[in-house]
Formats: sequence, C-alpha cells, structure tokens
Amino acid sequence: MSNVQVATGVINLSEGDPGLVDEIKELGGEELLECIQCAKCAAACPMVLAGFSFFNKRVIQAILLGLRDALLDDSSIWACQSCNRCTEVCPREVNPFEIIQAMRRVAIREFALPTLSIEGLKSLYDTGHAVYLAGAGSTRAKVGLPEKPYSTVANPKALKELQAVIRQTALADLGIIPMDESDVTETCEV
Amino acid sequence: MKVGFFVGCNTSFNRPDLEQAVRYAFPALGIELDNLEGQSCCPSWGTMPSVDVVGWCAVGARNHTIAEEKGLDIVTVCGSCYGSLAESKYKMDTNSEIKASVNEILKEIGREYKGTSKVRLAHYYLYHELGPERIKEALKHRLDGLTVALQPGCHTLWPSKVYYDKEEDPFHPKVLKEMCEALGATVGHYTRLIDCCGMGAMRSTDMEKSFNLVQKKLLSMKEEVNPDLIVTGCSSCLIQFDTAQEFLRNGKKINFQIPVLHFMQVLALCLGADREQVTGLAKTDVGPVVNRILAG
Repeated sequence: MSNVQVATGVINLSEGDPGLVDEIKELGGEELLECIQCAKCAAACPMVLAGFSFFNKRVIQAILLGLRDALLDDSSIWACQSCNRCTEVCPREVNPFEIIQAMRRVAIREFALPTLSIEGLKSLYDTGHAVYLAGAGSTRAKVGLPEKPYSTVANPKALKELQAVIRQTALADLGIIPMDESDVTETCEV
Repeated sequence: MKVGFFVGCNTSFNRPDLEQAVRYAFPALGIELDNLEGQSCCPSWGTMPSVDVVGWCAVGARNHTIAEEKGLDIVTVCGSCYGSLAESKYKMDTNSEIKASVNEILKEIGREYKGTSKVRLAHYYLYHELGPERIKEALKHRLDGLTVALQPGCHTLWPSKVYYDKEEDPFHPKVLKEMCEALGATVGHYTRLIDCCGMGAMRSTDMEKSFNLVQKKLLSMKEEVNPDLIVTGCSSCLIQFDTAQEFLRNGKKINFQIPVLHFMQVLALCLGADREQVTGLAKTDVGPVVNRILAG
C-alpha cells in the first residue's frame, strides 16, 4: 500500500500483487480461497480485542487483494498468539491461523521479520531453546534443580543432532542466522 | 506408569519451581518421570513454525522420536510446547508428504518419526489416567474454603482436532475446574474465562496491548469471583498473570493483587512438597495463600 493510499484510506486494486495468493498457498495456507469473509474468526480472535490493525479476517482479505507491502509494513501478523480459536470456529476449514503463519513465511523470505524472531531462531540453533535465559542456572539451583535442564544445553551430542536437523531446513537456505560454531552465552526471551 | 517430561524453555529457565512441582507431584502419585534427555525447544511459534512447515515438524519430530524410542507419551505443563508438539504430530500423522520429508531430514541423524507417542498436558494426563477421586485420596492438604479463578490457556483447548485429551466443549472447559474442585477449592465462573492472557507473541510484539488483555481478565476475575488465587493450566499464562500485575498496579490500571499458581504447583503443595521449591519464584506474593493451603 503506498503512502498516498494509507493517507486517503483508498486502495488501488491495480497495484495489488496477484502472486501473493499462490505464495501463501505454497507456504501452508492451502485453503485460502475457501474464505468467504464471514468474520467468525475475527469474532473469536484476541488480536481484535487487543486492537491490532490486521487480524485473521483482515489478513486474509489483504492477501486476496494482494496488499503485500501493507502486511509487511505492519507488525500485526507477528502478534498472532497461535491460539487457534479461529481454526476451531471456521465454518469453511480455512485454518486462518495457518494463513497468518504462511504470511509470516512470506515476510521471512523478504527478511521482514522482527528482531526477536531472529534472536529466537539464533538461540534455538545455538542452545536448542528459542527462549533461553543465560543466568537461569542460579534460579534453578535456588529451587533445588541441576543448573542445566536435561535438554540440548546439557547434552552437546543432542545439540549437534538438532543443529544437523536445522541445517537441512528452509532456515538454512534462507540464511537468516549464522550457523557456525558459537558459545552459549546469550539470553533470548521471544 | 511412566511418562516423558517435556520441560521446554519457559519452565526450565523462567519458572523452574513449576518444573520442581511436576517432579514432585507425578512420583507422589505413583507416576515415574523420564527426562527425555537431549530434548530441545518444541519449537515455539515465532521461530521454526513461522519459517517453514517441514522444518517446524522436523525439529518437533526429533523430540517426538526421543519419547518414541522409550515407548513413552510426552507430558508438558506449557501450552506452547503442548500446542506446537501436538500440531506438528498432527501434520505428520495426517500428511504423508510432510512425514516423508521430515524422515528424510531425520535420516542424517539416524532417527525416524513413527507417530507412536501421544502428547499430553500434565493435568489432563492426571485427570484421565488417575482421575480426581484417586488424586483426592493422596492429598495431605486441601483447598477447602479457598475460592479460585481459572486460566485454562488457549493451547489447552484449540484446535481440538490435534489434541489427544479433548474437552467435551472446548469453549466451556471442565477439566481444570474439576481438578481444582478435587483439591477442595470453590471455582468461580467469570465472563472472560476463555479469553487470551496476552502472553507470547502478542507480548513480544506490543506489551501495552498484551497487558490490556490481561488487565481485562484480572478485572473480570476480581469483580465476578474475587478469588483468593488464580490457577493456570499453562506456564506462559502463569508468567503473564504473575508478572503483569506489578506493571498494571504501577500504571494505576488495577489496585489489587491476586496470587497466581499453575495447577501443578497447587497440586504439589497439596501432596506435601516443599513450598520454596515449588512456588519460590513467584513475583506476586503467594505467601498468605500458601499458608492457607498448608493449613488446610
């Protein structure tokens, strides 16, 4: 959406990107075209109650209109709680949550992802945990637990296994995070 | 009985007192916990699921295979872990192409996803495998005289098709209510029972909007139930309700505080756990309500 369109609230449909629909379908939003904009998903969505610009129904509408830039310029798709109320109530089995995820996948392919997501992905690769608190050892000890949980952080072989898995995924092809050797020192709260 | 404990990120690093509660309560009820050594993040929603379906499922599948090798089901107390693991399992079990792509990836590390382990949420597992009556018999303390407000958590409920333990009606959940009543609590109903708490992606994206949601829930709880305690079914909800109250009080959005515990923490206390080990990291003071539980 151009700045003029944002200012006037008028959408020039000839500027829409017709390829966006196919991209969404390829990235997990297979049932996109089943949507009849009935808004049952919106009635159940916490993003509506919280006041975000784009929630399930409006994301789908914007995709159908090809408003790629409008969706990429707004952070709303990253606020989706993945709560799946929309999936539960949709009468057409559109799976609106999966379409928001697919829109995130489009955004990531254009490097339009929040810093926190990049940090979460880096933390996942480096430690095996997307949410990781480097100083948690003392917190764990305080309640009588070993400083490291029985996860990849306490098991170098398991971490290498996980990294070998991640290196074969689209994340590696996209080059969003460095996948070289690194020390586990950072904290990340996604 | 034995199950694999999927501890995840937030419980491990942020609220390990909840981890301790699970480690106390399950054995106290005769259920052995396996640590599923080498487990990783589920992975959570803002990371691999937002990049690619097959990559998401592959990271989840590696966790599933750790439980499968041991012939165990997976139990967790975190809604995000529960949701992500259950959804990746559903995708692989219902889409042979995804499953084949995932197994092609796993081949390099000598693993294969078969789909033989179930994903369970801790209190649902106890509800179905032991039942409220057997849990009642094991209690050393009870919640008699205490009124609680519940926060079931989104991923406990939707999408119901991916979960092994289903509510009869996911918009009118009963399991957490019946489990709290089994401990002796009076459970009050409030209008915003199934509303989202705002934790997770929403809080990471816009903290003010996220806190608006938890404020709405807290006001609804206070006005309609006036609870002695909020009991959550999800570790993320626990963190949100526990940490947001101070911000909301400082911003003059609320003028009260309500202690918050996860159901497994309350259960562990009722089974005789050390209070510091299973509730010691709460930010909103739980001291007085824990005293009442231990006196009950």
